[in-house]
Amino acid sequence: MSLNTRQNLKYAGLKFIELIATLFVVSFLTFAAFSIIPGDTAQIMLGPNASPEQVARLRTELGLDQPLPVRYITWVAGAFTGNLGDSSSFKVPVISLIAQRLPVTLGMSILALIMVIAVSYPLSVFSARRPGRIGDTICSILGHVLFAIPPFVLSLLLIVLASGVLHIFTMGKYAPPEKGFGNYIASLALPAFAIALPKIAMTFKFMRSAIIEQNASEYVKTERSHGLSEARIFLRHVLPNSNVSSITIITLVLSDILGGSLIVEQVFNLPGLGRLLLTAIDRRDFPLMSGMIFYLALITVILYFVSDILASIADPRIRLK
Amino acid sequence: MQSKASSFRARTFFITGAVFLGIVLLAFVMSLICSPYDPNATSAREILLPPSGAHLFGTDNFGRDVFSRILDASKYTIFISIAGVAIALFLGVLSGLPAGYFGGFPDRVIMLFNNSIMCFPGILLALVAVAVFGPSMFNVVWALGLVFAPTFARVCRAGAMELKTRDFIMHAKVMRVKPVRIMYSHILPNLMPQLLPATVIGLANMTLFESGMSYLGLGVQPPDASFGKMLADCKAYVLTAPWLVIFPSLMLIFYILGLYFLSEGIRVSYSGRSDS
Repeated sequence: MSLNTRQNLKYAGLKFIELIATLFVVSFLTFAAFSIIPGDTAQIMLGPNASPEQVARLRTELGLDQPLPVRYITWVAGAFTGNLGDSSSFKVPVISLIAQRLPVTLGMSILALIMVIAVSYPLSVFSARRPGRIGDTICSILGHVLFAIPPFVLSLLLIVLASGVLHIFTMGKYAPPEKGFGNYIASLALPAFAIALPKIAMTFKFMRSAIIEQNASEYVKTERSHGLSEARIFLRHVLPNSNVSSITIITLVLSDILGGSLIVEQVFNLPGLGRLLLTAIDRRDFPLMSGMIFYLALITVILYFVSDILASIADPRIRLK
Repeated sequence: MQSKASSFRARTFFITGAVFLGIVLLAFVMSLICSPYDPNATSAREILLPPSGAHLFGTDNFGRDVFSRILDASKYTIFISIAGVAIALFLGVLSGLPAGYFGGFPDRVIMLFNNSIMCFPGILLALVAVAVFGPSMFNVVWALGLVFAPTFARVCRAGAMELKTRDFIMHAKVMRVKPVRIMYSHILPNLMPQLLPATVIGLANMTLFESGMSYLGLGVQPPDASFGKMLADCKAYVLTAPWLVIFPSLMLIFYILGLYFLSEGIRVSYSGRSDS
């Protein structure tokens, strides 16, 4: 085994241990948040008009009569095997509720991510080639402004534009993927665009400065003086060297998109995880809330892990730190 | 010495930011001393009036004066962002500096907690905290403060790690200055170039979060006005009464944009100084 491979494995192993530790803390925090609620959880869930028998029944149902460590272990074991118990307001397993709403939120997030990459990359390359020129200045100012518009305000503006002025979009109409993939994408395109726009601005800003920084470095100057073509310098040297920043920024953007979609789908009246969460909050459905939080955090933790590994492949120096 | 180009850039950012922020700050001051109407007073006879001399920004579906409500909303927005960032900054400095300065085991533990908090989509964490402890402005502030603390902790940790090998810190150590004093009176002031823009950006991001939460009905509670809630309530009237959308959106954007430009100005003026 070469030294390089061993270092790779060691780095991946360390990161994996970190992943497990983070998952442990994340699960603990989620569990703790719902255990330190002041007062009796069952009483809060049922409201002030519940009879003592009802409260006692719910306590047993939720396992609240058991000691804390036992409850934590049961909960964690359930979380990792996909068994989070029943939602207290829908009376069906939490996991099936989440699975039912996932296509909306996930589809929207993936669509938004594709938009972010497809728009911000070419734009940042274009802008960074001639920083300070008129094209770059316009892009940069536009980026600042878009960055500052909250996603739900953008959604409202897009709704007015698309359904009020252009008549190309009907609000709150969601087509599930089973009934034709094209319609599914079409029904999610506008909300995805609303989430993507500020993130395009953010990615553009970071990528632009990463490329400009590379362009100004000594090795690029040397390559120019040696007569390498601009295209070759850019494709073979500048672009690979800005990969690390792009991996980092895409990861950040993706976890932002997941959080942002919770609000945006509410503006567009889409039946996704955001609405489920609000229903859970409204009905004080703690099993459902904790399940959703844990799974969304789980996705983010895995995302960060993958991005760390990818970054170490793109720039092996990271492994040595 | 600062280069001419970067000082010009910094000044442009500062001026643009100041203009945008000035509008919102003016609204804040006006809400305290000369609000034209009671922001929460409803009037059945004056429902959905377009902007006019009597009602500068028109009235909403309850007949409330939109201008007065915007003044009031800017007061809450500014208060929540400043209070939340203050909590986040306090927690971040308190945990980030020792993590970076001591390194080793304390660092690992502190950063594990920080990274774990960062793994929850921020808005989700704040929403749930508010849902569990009840919607109130106080709960919104501390929940957002907690969500934002890791960002500042990271900045402090990175700064402390870099500075602790510098000669002036080494010298302080040799002189047996206590670690607490080294961290807070030697390292912290030198972190301003990173911490100051991060704080201003934090104010902007916190406003984004707060307005989103208020939009969902879990931020500022009615009848108190907030930009997010105003925009949520006007959804049915976006086409018939556009003034209900335009003015709160603009104020919200002005505040966030002003903060972005201000932080950009601070960043450019600091980096211009260290370049030469």
